[in-house]
Amino acid sequence: MIPEDREERDLLAAEYVLGTLEAREAAALEEALPGDAGLRQEVDRWRRRLAPLSHLQPALDPPPALWPRIEASLAGLGPAPSRAAPRREKAGWMWRGWALGSTALAAGLAAFLWLRPAPERLTTVLLTQRDQPAWLVEAQGGALRLAALNPQPVDPSRVLQLWALPQGATAPTSLGLIPGDGSVTVTPGGLAPSPGMLIEISLEPPGGSPTGRPTGPILFIGRLTAVGGA
Amino acid sequence: MDGQHQSMEFLLADIARGRRDALRPVYDAQASRMFGVAMAILRDREAAADAVHDAFLKIAGRAGQYDSARGPAAAWMMGIVRNAALDRARARGRELPTDDPGLGDAALEPRVLEEIAEQEDGRRLQECLDQLDAHPRGAILLAFVHGLSHPQIGERLKAPLGTVKSMIRRGLLRLRECMT
Repeated sequence: MIPEDREERDLLAAEYVLGTLEAREAAALEEALPGDAGLRQEVDRWRRRLAPLSHLQPALDPPPALWPRIEASLAGLGPAPSRAAPRREKAGWMWRGWALGSTALAAGLAAFLWLRPAPERLTTVLLTQRDQPAWLVEAQGGALRLAALNPQPVDPSRVLQLWALPQGATAPTSLGLIPGDGSVTVTPGGLAPSPGMLIEISLEPPGGSPTGRPTGPILFIGRLTAVGGA
Repeated sequence: MDGQHQSMEFLLADIARGRRDALRPVYDAQASRMFGVAMAILRDREAAADAVHDAFLKIAGRAGQYDSARGPAAAWMMGIVRNAALDRARARGRELPTDDPGLGDAALEPRVLEEIAEQEDGRRLQECLDQLDAHPRGAILLAFVHGLSHPQIGERLKAPLGTVKSMIRRGLLRLRECMT
């Protein structure tokens, strides 16, 4: 059903994004997507190329009953696949804490966390919610190295906790705390850095999350990608 | 604008971890644009609300498939709502001729190109669309914005069906060349 010819595949992706495929063709493409990374990339590329066109339609307020209906349908689906600990703080709170806190992270702070050997070199830049690069993360030979790119003051009554979420996992695993004085916290455990692994830093109460899941807001986030063979 | 789409990405990461309460801020920020997109395709408030409903259930279920390498989160979600609306348009038989003679007029007016250029990342797309002939450009806009099928576009542009298909394909290839 999905053509092998490159040009035909790309045109199929384009027509899918454009919306001109017949129901049957669109369904076949959607069925192929999860197992076809190349096709997924073509679809993503076309979606990005044509994205400005979805601003041509005027925004319209949906009927007020729509959200309650969505909520009811979600409740009918049963519990979410992974259940994080309930947030104990309102989302808006943390940015104030982040901005007004007085303890500056030492410039160039680096923490090393020794994990199981990984076969390749992986890297990512953790971004803030405002899209600012904040941490460079490199993983090689099982070590995860963090370097602060743009040290910011952090609320003195909170700590930063590092988490990893391997692809396909439903809950993040703590890799330990990132202390303000630059000392190192090692977390034993058999988690190897892997491509696609999500790395996050959350703001937690002193001593770290009491629940084993992030309880505070995620301040920084990035996804490890391979940068070449080891 | 950047801050907004970035925070959408964070919200999606929260949703992927099972925090369904993160859907509400996504809804608050995106629902009116999504509803506008669905209305342009379905032209029926009830059907458009159904499409946005479907889209949010899909977003809740598929948030884990999103990552920032796939482009801005808002565009990813807009793709989901367009597909939900197109699915409904197909299901109700969009091959029926539209009874709205003015449908798509806006998409065919010259000033539409200026509007595209004003959008984030819209300048390049506008320049490339501008290089296409009026017919393929209009066909692409009618398909994307209003979800018109090949026969409907043919009717709207008074062009034979086979011509519509091939001019859209050629137009898309030229867009791709022009935008890379």
